[in-house]
Amino acid sequence: MAAAELSVKLQSSSGSKVKDFLNANLINILAAFLFLLLAFFLLYPIIMVLIKSFQGPSGFTLQYYQAFFSKNYYYQSLYNTLLLGVINTVVCLVIGFCLAYMTTRGPWILRKPLKIISLVPLIAPPYLFALSLIILFGRNGLVTRMFDLHWELYGFSGVVISQTLAFIPLAYMMIESTLMSLNPNLEESAYDMGASEATILRTITIPLLAPGLLKAALLIFVMTIAEFGNAAILGGRTPFLAPDTYTMITGESDFNMGSVLSVVLIAPCILIFFIHNYLLEGKKFTTIGGKPVASEPRKITPLIKVPFVIITTVAAGAIFVCFAVVFVASFYKILGVTHDIVLSNYLDFTSNQAIYNSIRVSFVAAIIGAVIGVLLAYVIVRGKFFGRTFIEMVSLSGFALPGTVLGIGYLLAFSAPPLKLTGGIMILALNCVFRFLAVGVEAGISKLHQIHIEIEEASADLGASFLTTFHKIVLPIMFPAFIAGFIYTFMTAIVSLSAVVFLVSPGFDLAAVKIFDAAVYGEIGIASATTMKLVLIVMICMMILNYISSKTRLGSSMKKTVAV
Amino acid sequence: MKEKFIAVIVAVIFSVALAGSAVAEEINAYMGTSPDNNAKIVKFIKDKTGITVNQTFQSFGEIEARAKAEAPNFNADMIIGCGSPLAFMAKKNGWSTPYVSPGWKGVAEVFMDSKGDWYNIANFSFVLVGNKDRLAKAGYKMPESWKDLLDPKWKGEIVMPSPLSSGTANMMRFSFLALYGDAEGWKFIEALDKNIHHYTRSGNAPTDLVGRGEFMLGITSDENVKKRLNDGYPLFWSIPAEGTGYDGTYALIFKGTKKLATCKKIIDVLGTPEFSTLMAEIGYVTPRPAPNALYGKTLPKYIKLDLGKAAEDKPKNNDIWKQKLRTDFK
Repeated sequence: MAAAELSVKLQSSSGSKVKDFLNANLINILAAFLFLLLAFFLLYPIIMVLIKSFQGPSGFTLQYYQAFFSKNYYYQSLYNTLLLGVINTVVCLVIGFCLAYMTTRGPWILRKPLKIISLVPLIAPPYLFALSLIILFGRNGLVTRMFDLHWELYGFSGVVISQTLAFIPLAYMMIESTLMSLNPNLEESAYDMGASEATILRTITIPLLAPGLLKAALLIFVMTIAEFGNAAILGGRTPFLAPDTYTMITGESDFNMGSVLSVVLIAPCILIFFIHNYLLEGKKFTTIGGKPVASEPRKITPLIKVPFVIITTVAAGAIFVCFAVVFVASFYKILGVTHDIVLSNYLDFTSNQAIYNSIRVSFVAAIIGAVIGVLLAYVIVRGKFFGRTFIEMVSLSGFALPGTVLGIGYLLAFSAPPLKLTGGIMILALNCVFRFLAVGVEAGISKLHQIHIEIEEASADLGASFLTTFHKIVLPIMFPAFIAGFIYTFMTAIVSLSAVVFLVSPGFDLAAVKIFDAAVYGEIGIASATTMKLVLIVMICMMILNYISSKTRLGSSMKKTVAV
Repeated sequence: MKEKFIAVIVAVIFSVALAGSAVAEEINAYMGTSPDNNAKIVKFIKDKTGITVNQTFQSFGEIEARAKAEAPNFNADMIIGCGSPLAFMAKKNGWSTPYVSPGWKGVAEVFMDSKGDWYNIANFSFVLVGNKDRLAKAGYKMPESWKDLLDPKWKGEIVMPSPLSSGTANMMRFSFLALYGDAEGWKFIEALDKNIHHYTRSGNAPTDLVGRGEFMLGITSDENVKKRLNDGYPLFWSIPAEGTGYDGTYALIFKGTKKLATCKKIIDVLGTPEFSTLMAEIGYVTPRPAPNALYGKTLPKYIKLDLGKAAEDKPKNNDIWKQKLRTDFK
């Protein structure tokens, strides 16, 4: 408050010319500044990856692409990756939709438990599921021994299952928030007029949900082909692009081939991003408006109810069992070998340091990300300068960027002076900021579309300066978007592995990387305990955040984590 | 008022989050031994010198890749534990700072560079491990020769590290090539590949995988075997009749470090008999003689190796490895 008054005073004391100029152009200056940030921290690293993939020892070359497209091995890798992405996306969407439907339209008694089970994995690293699958279904796993199974976990099927379980929560979260903002009146009036549940689903709910489903599909596809923890732990000899890229960089330091793999990985993502934008042209109306409303449970016909209940029970059950297994494993010295129950896994000090680092990085990233996201949304919606659509596209492209690409890009762009950022906390934070920016921007844009520009114009007509208007009118409206951006960045940054794994350095170990290392190494106890500690600490952080925001008038916005 | 309150809270959290914890003498190091052993070495250095060593776990191969990628702007001050390929490459390319340490006086010359570019803090080898329970259940005996591993009955039951990420695996490869000669050696590796379930990222991972009974046999680094036996894993270990290879665990100071004096102190302390004792208790063969926990008094039979040539051949052999072992499209 005081700061704003001060700035107003400062402006009135300086000449009125300066004031007018500022009022007229501040938004453009802001836009230019934001564009520079985007160009520097998002476009530049990606361009570096692109250049590197064409850059041989003696200038421009296609030899690395030639190597990629002439080797069977890489075809296999690409094929597996795309197949994994497609299967995963479809299954996650179906299960996510069923879960979201049951928690928003289903019987009250199921809503809370289903919701909790579906959301908790969001704050655990995705490869937690690889860990629990090994404990249960590995060659010496509990279930394997109990029933003398001969199922081969290490391979394509193991990766698909663990990766699907890992991304159900994301699908659920995105679909649920769209379902929540869908006005139930439409469905209820159809119901009152005698339409069957199936008809309502087919003709009202799903069509209205389409934009949200599409967005969820895009995000899951991109995340699933880039996040390589499960594939690296359970893949066995089945190649996937993301872990291959990882070995290429960290094992062989072959940046050329690593860049080629990244570019190949990015291509389908960009394609889907454009298809998604094209399909959504002019359909934005469904994603905005409508406050989250809990709708009354309806009588659902058994034809729908039974499969929905089966799917949700199986999915929620599987997630719950995986968590329980990891929880139990965290107390065993060596699960399945000796039966000593120990606390030493929890007392491992290096993992505490890593968790502390993770929270620091994610917190810094979330603050910066949310601020930049809100400002970007503002200049995109209200600005009238050339290149506005371009800025919008760039800032939303985070949806379509596989993490490995931005990880390698940052390594290429910022590891030599004068731009040396590697070896510290900032490179990790900035990487997360620009990878997860899209959600904050999107939320901000949809919030701004809800208020008419006339309010701001009225404020300006009454003599308020640009800054006053921004502070008094725009900021309060944008606050939910700020929170959405903050929480999404915080949660995703803390568990994501695919980009930061390239950027950690001694003294800046992160929990996600630490758990991955322990899991790959075979230290199941340490990996499980670190996961549990991380989950617990993140939950406490979320509760504090929840408390702070519920103390303000904006409490309700918290629950709508991603306001898409 | 409320807004101010929130602003204050956010500001406090923010500043706490940003505040570092740097006061004491500390350095950043790349350390390639197992996480347990890294922790032991870090503790030893802290106890003896008061210096805090920050490190992240990486395998030898990954440290090598990282050093290559970062040169000449390293994100660490020194390496405590990398393989011979990187140690020799660093000296050749001028990435290391020579330092003749008084702490290493009296150590055999093979353990240190004549100019002081690198110091070998401990030798390690690779061994064959088997899971007692799984072998007993299948009615199989531990193989006595490396060639026994080619028996089709082991198909899908052997794990070993990947030479693309693990220095230990590189050592296995150059040892087999030295044992059988290039042509026969590659034939052996290709035949062995038919029985390998998959190649792990780190050289120690097979010990744990076999220990937990996921696979029956593993070719693995010896550095963790003693520890895992003590932990109670049902493991057999042996060195087949033909013998095993070896590589050093090298320490060196990066060129350009701002903490040269601190690094020198660490090199000095790594040359002490106490440090050798620590490493020998883990199971390493050390620069200063100390009773070895894994092998006892008689050292294993070694395959005759030329580490310099092995380091030079590494990129070429990686290419051949990829060409020969990565072909099938399902």
